[in-house]
Amino acid sequence: MSDTAQAWSTTQVRIRMMFRLRVSLLAVATTVLFAVGLRHMLIYRDAYSSVPTQFVAWGALAAVLGAEAVLTIRRLTWRRLRGVAIGVVLAASATSYLTLTEGVATYADWAYGTANWIGIAILFDRPLQAQLAFLAGHCALALTDLLLLAGADQASILRFMTGSVGVLGYPLCVAAVVVPLRAVASSAARSHREVERARTDEQVAAESALRRRQRITELADSTMPLLAGLADRTLDPSDQRVRQRCAIEAGRLRRLMAEHDTVADPLLHELRHCADIAERRGVRVELDARGHWPDLSVPVRRSLTDAPLAALATADSWARVTVVGDGGLVSVNVVADCGGIELSQPADPDARLETRSTKDMTWVEVWWRTK
Amino acid sequence: MADKVISAVLVDDHVAIAAGVGSWFSLAEPPIVLLNAGDRLPDLWTGPGARADVVIFDLELVPRQPNFGELRRLVKNRRRVVVYSQHADQETALRCVDLGALAYLTKREGEEHLVPAVRAAAEGRSYTAPTLSGVLVTDERPERPSLTPREREVLRAWFVSSSKDLVARKLDISAKTVETHIERVRAKYAHVGRAAPTKSDLVSHALDDGLITLDELTAQRDV
Repeated sequence: MSDTAQAWSTTQVRIRMMFRLRVSLLAVATTVLFAVGLRHMLIYRDAYSSVPTQFVAWGALAAVLGAEAVLTIRRLTWRRLRGVAIGVVLAASATSYLTLTEGVATYADWAYGTANWIGIAILFDRPLQAQLAFLAGHCALALTDLLLLAGADQASILRFMTGSVGVLGYPLCVAAVVVPLRAVASSAARSHREVERARTDEQVAAESALRRRQRITELADSTMPLLAGLADRTLDPSDQRVRQRCAIEAGRLRRLMAEHDTVADPLLHELRHCADIAERRGVRVELDARGHWPDLSVPVRRSLTDAPLAALATADSWARVTVVGDGGLVSVNVVADCGGIELSQPADPDARLETRSTKDMTWVEVWWRTK
Repeated sequence: MADKVISAVLVDDHVAIAAGVGSWFSLAEPPIVLLNAGDRLPDLWTGPGARADVVIFDLELVPRQPNFGELRRLVKNRRRVVVYSQHADQETALRCVDLGALAYLTKREGEEHLVPAVRAAAEGRSYTAPTLSGVLVTDERPERPSLTPREREVLRAWFVSSSKDLVARKLDISAKTVETHIERVRAKYAHVGRAAPTKSDLVSHALDDGLITLDELTAQRDV
């Protein structure tokens, strides 16, 4: 897997985990807004100096949560509007506190507990400090209301303190858990990448093994019997024909190795390898190519190069190798002083082999129709 | 022409090339006289070089700067030029043919092509070596001349086999007919390559081809 693909995969895993976390917080805040906030507001509606004001405050919190829901669905973040949203949450709380006849942290006070959850939902991807600052700010706001406006006494302060344990404690716990979960998301992404890499390595190894098996199968018909014959001495290396077979098989092996190279023109690349085998034997080889041809599959290339390979492998001192791509045909030619050699027609039905000989020169041509 | 000793002036800055060509020419039958101008282009225009029958021209005395201008000047001054280049790319070869070089040989093509190319050029005929044949048969420019299927077959076979005997055998024609086809292709290229953007160029071509004579031209003016 490339670095870019790895980075993409890692990012995808992290994004998925963070999205699920955000949806969970949204669900908790929505449940609290309705099950605690709205329910308490309706039950204790007689305890407010202005019920419409309470509805406005609740509506403002609901609007902020609705916006968070829309952003979550669209995979967007608050960006610069995050501050505005927190401001609206705190303003809604303060508005609610102003019309509470018995002050904060009473049964009628639905806003103190609800707003904390909504604030945590909005700040879910911010550092822990931001969430702590919000909770502390909101607590200070409620305490200010209690001390300045509601006429605090010892009982109400104690009630506020005991009430704050749950109201601040649960969101604080969640905020504290979100931060390590974000780290887990990153490490899960890394693990995912490792698993992907291991899977890719396994596939590469399996393909290499398959390719090796294919190569062995491809050599089974020609190279293996030759090697077996040389090993059990039924073939004599001093025999000219045996030496020719060896040269041809060496060319085939070289071509087989070259077939999997990533090059611009595999046909010319493989022919160069075949030419190199001849040059190592001291044969002067000219290679020239003209015109264009399409990308050719391995079986077509083998059909085109089988006979030229044999001619090159058995050339005595000189060979001219040419490729012409023109008029819907690609043809591979070898003219060489290779004497009479036995060549069979190419395996591909669209390929044809033609040979011509003068007394000292043989011309082998294989052509294949491209369209 | 048969009895006349052919002389050729070689422009090439490689001493080994000059020595090799000199050796081939001295062993040719009949021998060809070689004048070595080295990398001195002025020697083509003065002294014995100016009188040589054929100019053998290395296109790239300065690496990667083919001297098409000098080739154009030589052809314009009716010098018979064989381009001997180390490059085999399509574009360079076609441009030399268009500019009027009688032969374009790559340096991989040795005496078996250079000697007949110089002999043909001395007689004002073109010579097409296998490499140039491959260039012509795969020429896809819109301005290329139209070739018959047979001409294409001959060019292709000559390129791949580099043996006129093998071409003749494959196409079941005589070696002489092979040469006729190739010469006809070059004639078509010569016709297309001679651009005549002005009226004076047209008149010049007409004079070259013998369609009109100088006397006729003067008589026309006097009327």
